[in-house]
Amino acid sequence: MTLPGGLTVLVQPVSGVESASFAFLLPGGSAALPDGCCGAAAVLNDWLFRGAGPYNSRRLVEELDSIGLHRQSSVSPEYLFYGGSLQSENLFRALELYADILLRPRLQEDLFEPSRQLALQELEALDDDPRQKVSVCLYERFYPDPLGRPCAGKEEDLQQLTPPQTRALKERLFAWSGAVLSAAGKIDTHAFLRHIETLFGHTPACQECPPPPQAAADGYHHIPNPGAQVHIGFMTKVPPCDSPLYYSVMAACAVLGGGMSSRLFTEVREKRGLCYAVGTRYHSLRSFAGISGYAGTTPDKAEETLSVILSEFRRLRNGISEDELLRAKTGLKSTLIMQNESTSARASRLAADWFYLKRVRPLEEIRRAIESLTTQTVQEFLDGPFSQEFTFVSLGPQPLQSLQNQQES
Amino acid sequence: MQFRHVQLKNGLTLIGEINPNAQSAAVGFFVRTGSRDETPSLSGVSHFLEHMLFKGTEDLSSVEVNEAFDRLGAKFNAFTSEENTVYYAAVLPEFFSAAVELWCRLMRPALRTDDFDVEKKVILEEIAMYKDLPEFQVIDQARQLHFGSHPCANSVLGTEETIGNLTAEQMRDYFSRRYAPNNLVAACCGRFDFDQTRRLIERLCSAWEPMEVGRTLAFFEGTGLQKRQTQRGLTCEHICLMSPSVSMQDPRRFAASLLSVIIGDSTGSRFFWALVDPAVADTAVMHCEAMDGVGILSSYIRCPTENRQKVLQIVQNIFDELKQNGISENELTAAKNKVLSAITLEAERPMGRLVSLGFNWIYLKSYRPVAEDVQAVKSVTVEQINQLIRDYPLEKFTQVSIGPEDS
Repeated sequence: MTLPGGLTVLVQPVSGVESASFAFLLPGGSAALPDGCCGAAAVLNDWLFRGAGPYNSRRLVEELDSIGLHRQSSVSPEYLFYGGSLQSENLFRALELYADILLRPRLQEDLFEPSRQLALQELEALDDDPRQKVSVCLYERFYPDPLGRPCAGKEEDLQQLTPPQTRALKERLFAWSGAVLSAAGKIDTHAFLRHIETLFGHTPACQECPPPPQAAADGYHHIPNPGAQVHIGFMTKVPPCDSPLYYSVMAACAVLGGGMSSRLFTEVREKRGLCYAVGTRYHSLRSFAGISGYAGTTPDKAEETLSVILSEFRRLRNGISEDELLRAKTGLKSTLIMQNESTSARASRLAADWFYLKRVRPLEEIRRAIESLTTQTVQEFLDGPFSQEFTFVSLGPQPLQSLQNQQES
Repeated sequence: MQFRHVQLKNGLTLIGEINPNAQSAAVGFFVRTGSRDETPSLSGVSHFLEHMLFKGTEDLSSVEVNEAFDRLGAKFNAFTSEENTVYYAAVLPEFFSAAVELWCRLMRPALRTDDFDVEKKVILEEIAMYKDLPEFQVIDQARQLHFGSHPCANSVLGTEETIGNLTAEQMRDYFSRRYAPNNLVAACCGRFDFDQTRRLIERLCSAWEPMEVGRTLAFFEGTGLQKRQTQRGLTCEHICLMSPSVSMQDPRRFAASLLSVIIGDSTGSRFFWALVDPAVADTAVMHCEAMDGVGILSSYIRCPTENRQKVLQIVQNIFDELKQNGISENELTAAKNKVLSAITLEAERPMGRLVSLGFNWIYLKSYRPVAEDVQAVKSVTVEQINQLIRDYPLEKFTQVSIGPEDS
């Protein structure tokens, strides 16, 4: 169902469960912010919950807590996400509160400063979490600007933000015209839709206006840090999630660094003992995607670790075996079904499908697509422009000499 | 939902909660051994041994083990704590027997010396990785300081020195003493056939020899010591507070858990309003950890380093206020609803349910249906929690803080 204001509502009743979960996905994430406002979405995300509709800050949190809501909210480059899970009898009440939060937030000037301070503190906390810091820096350099801008913000921008400016940015960040609300669990669909029509029938007419992406920074970047390990992040371009090659990319990523029988785990950890943590994952925005990876190792092993990883990327281009493909397919199917056991994963998948594909893929369609993969279809992807260029980020006592030399030559 | 259990002659227990409507099934081997069962020279052996089980048996190499699990599409892994080592896998029902069989075989590992030598490097990398995570460091150090001479002070990871000196022979000896069938529980839940699983376990595990396995249990109220440590390159202050609480065997653990939610849930708690809402700290949470014969309330707070004294003063005020006036009825209702939501969500997935199922048997030797836990949470009263605050004074905490050098 799509409401007059543009909000699309997707419902999936699930039998045999007592919980219900919902997810709001509002197009217009951190990349929609103008220059100089990096982090405004993170500030707004906190400020929204400091009073809405008839409730002041304390009352609002008390109301949310009293129904036992487990809530999540996050900022992505292309959307804002607000989700929650709870016992199903409290679902309607939760959505009433979210109508206040998302449509009638108070955004009081005197409560802005703590929201900004928390955003600054969370940004600082990244310095004490090397792996996370590498990942933020990797996305920033890999994705064309502004898509890679850190969702947590930049210190200089956060320092400059004002309450009126942030309030005005809400219009850009909340593009209701393309928004999705999904819900899954013990839900009476008709009653749910009626309730949503009442609550969200009149959303503001805000269109998403994504800025044109600029060139990515690419190359190699090192962050000096006197820690025990060198934390290495790497990323290379692959087709995005709406591509016909999507499932081939997923399979190739699983074979390379997905599970404990993957090539990277076997070669880097099992055979050589170079790392505790090593692996890859697929990360996609609407038009750009990459296979990103991480390895953490002590400084004297960093060059060897990198060299093994790069040679595995090269070897992957020669193709994958039937047995590797079979394991990847079984893994993808089992993830699909097990995710379905969680109402919150279901609600998130519904919303994500709508956002990225403008439709919801039936489970059976995904299962068939996975089953129809062959080593040849995966090879078609590997024969394309795969792993020709990398973005690298390292954090540790010394930069990686081989990458630095390459950069200079 | 049906519960069944059986004990083999050698003491190995199989428990199962069967849910024919589930879409998957999970199996876990719960071994009642962890760092508290180690002597100083063996520090870290339980966790290292957990890694070594994935290295295979006399007729399975480590690569073959990983391939076998991945061929089943299994979500599998293991974890080691102060008092348990748990191996688990969640799979689609058609792969369940194969997953159980694989774990049964791995419970009698080869522990080859060359595998041991390679894996030692991985463990040393893991130790290095955690050194770069102050959030982990502060909790680990607080535990050591809080428990003092009590075995729960023992580090799960061990140190570079103890791991460096450990031999494969010492590990084999530890294995033979601790992985006796009478010290193991195999727990299953979700959609699976109990009788088929029982036959499988009987066939594969009946020959394992039982051993005398012990653990010294003693309550410990904590040292109450305090220390601050500086570390080059850090930006924030990381603070951990630990105070004594009830054990897993104590029925008051539900009240203790609710108390930790009231004080330190990530939203709407006492910590939230006094520390996070006004941006004095960006994280301030408390967890209740009920263990074997002993328990703690553990708080983790992260703040700008200049706020350190302010944070500690605010925490002190919160604890004083609770001691004087106790909690309110509204706070308890919200905490109950949060905990009940968490129980409901966890129970909906076999993998979520597995850990509670296994630990209830390990600690209580009993099966507790979800409904029983729900009832136990619902029946906690304000007065019970206030009594708990009097019995286990919050202000008697051990404190470790790690942050940048003072400017």
